[in-house]
Amino acid sequence: MEGALLPGPPPRSIRVMVDASKSAADEQLSELALTEEEKLVLAKVAEILRKIQFGTVVLVVQDGKVVQVEMAEKFRLR
Amino acid sequence: MADVLRTLADPPSAPAEPKLALRDVVVTRRTASGATITATDRLTFDVAQGEFVCLLGPSGCGKTSLLNVLAGLVMPSTGEALLDGRPITGPGPDRAVLFQEPALFPWLSVLGNVELGLELIGVPAAARHDIAQRWLANVHLERWADAQPHELSAGMRQRLALARALAADPGVLLGDEPFGALDAQARELLQREVQRFWVESDDRKTFLFVTHNVREATLLADRVLVMSAAPGRLLEEFRIHAPRPRDLDDVLISRVVSEIHTLLMQEVDASVAREMAR
Repeated sequence: MEGALLPGPPPRSIRVMVDASKSAADEQLSELALTEEEKLVLAKVAEILRKIQFGTVVLVVQDGKVVQVEMAEKFRLR
Repeated sequence: MADVLRTLADPPSAPAEPKLALRDVVVTRRTASGATITATDRLTFDVAQGEFVCLLGPSGCGKTSLLNVLAGLVMPSTGEALLDGRPITGPGPDRAVLFQEPALFPWLSVLGNVELGLELIGVPAAARHDIAQRWLANVHLERWADAQPHELSAGMRQRLALARALAADPGVLLGDEPFGALDAQARELLQREVQRFWVESDDRKTFLFVTHNVREATLLADRVLVMSAAPGRLLEEFRIHAPRPRDLDDVLISRVVSEIHTLLMQEVDASVAREMAR
């Protein structure tokens, strides 16, 4: 897919690989055409992921909708 | 939907001053042979107002010693224990304690046990009966008001002890393995009742239970503090954001149970290895 955006074969450098994955992620998101509800869920999950270092996040789905986000966060105290 | 998501995932904002605080608390005790044992080793943690915290650890890690310090029954060797920022110097009506064996008065009726608790904190005689009746109804014992404690099952006796403790409207409820001696069904019922009281109370009470039951701690607490083998130190803290009443089949709960279980097993194995190396 990235070949179509760049003239010729993509150079094998890390930088280009990172850029390519970024645009691939953007492309994937725009292809999905997220609904407002889905965006809210993803935003919430991203917010949680930015906060926690270790733990578990669980999405509870009912009838095709996320009805709950549960999480447990773990801290090492020793 | 956004509201539902926010409610469950966001931790409650912590108040400036904790309800309970332990600062570098060391508790030592004497054995029958005269040796001194360090039960807890420089423990420091806070419990916020309205929080439900469970302390979990292997046998002999100093959980009960710690609870006794907070109850004002034992003084720490060094460090300090604070309630609302003031040092704890003895027991008080602001803290109720639930023990494994309910300390009921066998010569008083079920109702009389709750009324006595109210009398001791100075509730006027006219009000005692109604409050006691209400709390007996809360724990489904209203039909047993005139019975003697020995006529009740173990689970009912512990429900009575819970009613007596909460009727006095303490700010803090301390539990020392409160459901440890109960059969599985009675334990489950009490766990549900305790969750209900904690969730439904208007001014949410601060609950601190010590237990060695991983499932119980995970089911009940906002925060589970896992202690090491003696001398007790804090190993890990688990903050659980899941709605109540909780179910042990819940994916999050069962995952946390398994993580804590693994951690405790590692700790027990390590402490056995340390003992063997001596």
